[in-house]
Amino acid sequence: MNETIRSSLLTKLCGDMTARDRRNLNRANVWMAVWLACFALSTWLIKGERVAAGPVGWLVAAVPTAVAIGAILAFGRYLREADELQRKIQLQALALGFGVGLFFGFGYRLFEGLGAPQADISDASVVIAFFYFVGLWLGRRRYA
Amino acid sequence: MKNRLKVLRAERDWTQARLASQLEVSRQTVNAIETGKYDPSLPLAFRLATIFGRPIEQIFTPDSAALDGE
Repeated sequence: MNETIRSSLLTKLCGDMTARDRRNLNRANVWMAVWLACFALSTWLIKGERVAAGPVGWLVAAVPTAVAIGAILAFGRYLREADELQRKIQLQALALGFGVGLFFGFGYRLFEGLGAPQADISDASVVIAFFYFVGLWLGRRRYA
Repeated sequence: MKNRLKVLRAERDWTQARLASQLEVSRQTVNAIETGKYDPSLPLAFRLATIFGRPIEQIFTPDSAALDGE
């Protein structure tokens, strides 16, 4: 399990890192993996109507969000304590992902008005994630 | 900004990894500073000055273009 995390895409894309950064990033990766598992499980339970609407249903829906808070805090800690060049690369990658995702989101609405297929927030998040990884790759190349 | 990091490191026969370890940064950061791709923060520049026992201005010099702009 540890080896899997160590060789994760995010860790590889970040390149050479201090032990502290690798530990903090691995911690954030674990939180992300747990969030993904919780989100998939909650979706399976809710969409498949395996839980009824009510307190239990609300709890099932809230679990991924609660876990996401942990993931955000873990990633924030990584950024705060990161080697300053790594922090710069990460912030530039986040800016690229967020910027492209935001403008893609707004820009695509114009195409929807012209008959393009409807897109939702999950489509925008794919764009954000893709350009975040592109940003990491570009940063690693720029400062190699 | 230009710097003499590579020369100072070579004088001591240190690897980039060793200097990075002393600075508590990644080897990529040391390499990026040496090659002029990245200018370090002031705290990191002070740490470098302490490690090499020299004032900052003996390690880093601004580009002539930057001086012309003043």
